[in-house]
Amino acid sequence: MTELFETLRSSAFFGLALSCGAWCFGLWVQKKTRLVLCNPLVIASALIILLLSVLHIPYSDYAVGGSLISLMLGPATAVLALNICHEKQRLREYFLPVFVGCLVGTLTSMGLILLLCHLLSVESTIAAALLPKSVTTAIALAISESSGGIPGITAAAVIVAGVVGAMFAPAFAKIFRVKDPIAEGIAIGACSHALGTAKALEIGELQGAMSSISLCLCGILTSILCLFL
Amino acid sequence: MNIMGELAIIFGLCLAAEGISALLPITMPASVISLLLLLICLLTGLIKERQIQRASDFFIRNMAFFFVAPCVGLIEHLPTLASCLVPFLIIAVFTTPLIYAVTAWAVQLTMRLCRRKEH
Repeated sequence: MTELFETLRSSAFFGLALSCGAWCFGLWVQKKTRLVLCNPLVIASALIILLLSVLHIPYSDYAVGGSLISLMLGPATAVLALNICHEKQRLREYFLPVFVGCLVGTLTSMGLILLLCHLLSVESTIAAALLPKSVTTAIALAISESSGGIPGITAAAVIVAGVVGAMFAPAFAKIFRVKDPIAEGIAIGACSHALGTAKALEIGELQGAMSSISLCLCGILTSILCLFL
Repeated sequence: MNIMGELAIIFGLCLAAEGISALLPITMPASVISLLLLLICLLTGLIKERQIQRASDFFIRNMAFFFVAPCVGLIEHLPTLASCLVPFLIIAVFTTPLIYAVTAWAVQLTMRLCRRKEH
């Protein structure tokens, strides 16, 4: 019996089925509760983490199927080009505000993190790991590794920043009185990368397109600016 | 176009992007390069929107789902995180709204300045 269980859990379908099932459960919970905190991503991940720990299933078993899902983040990012392409007219018109926004966002992110790390006297390996946390995972990991940061902390910080942005983006727009959809999209992309972009796409097509542009531009700007640190 | 043909185009672009990423002297991830590659192909008309429409719709509509696996991956890093939990949370959580606000205001301010110049 235990042998069968071991064979099952190390199959790629285990991770795939569990992820899809947990995702549907997350969607259902959000539909029922309509709470911001009940984000499907948070619910699904928490449920899977809980199941793995309760049943003592090693993460490496889940990752057999899970890595196939992570792999799809590449094509999912690539097709954002389609959204950018739809808004090319508006992008031409507002090129300067978009560029200035991304540059200011990147500088603010890096400046704030350096300042806080200094104030909280955080170790340099952790500071280097946190520095690129506002950009998409792949860029952040590459930057963190090249400056001697701990990759695990970078991955975690990127996810946390993304989840916070995805959950509260509509609330941020209200609190900070951001009414312009272009400003909203750029800001979401700058503070919470691809995860925020997924949310921006739900808010509106223009927001989604702007967030995709900001995700790219901020990523590129961060990797260039980090070379000077 | 057949759905497999659409996927072949998208996966092919991702593969080309990985090649470019390996050759570039600076660290630039393949996902960003693939986005830029596809954008160039769409703008030059090398790839038409209808040739990747259905597959793209699927990826874009379900984008948040693909983050489930990396999120679950956080359990691997829990011991490292526990050692610096307070600064980690302060920095990862509280800087996000600030970055949002500053960026949004910068865009709106630049837009207003541009408009004033035009008038």
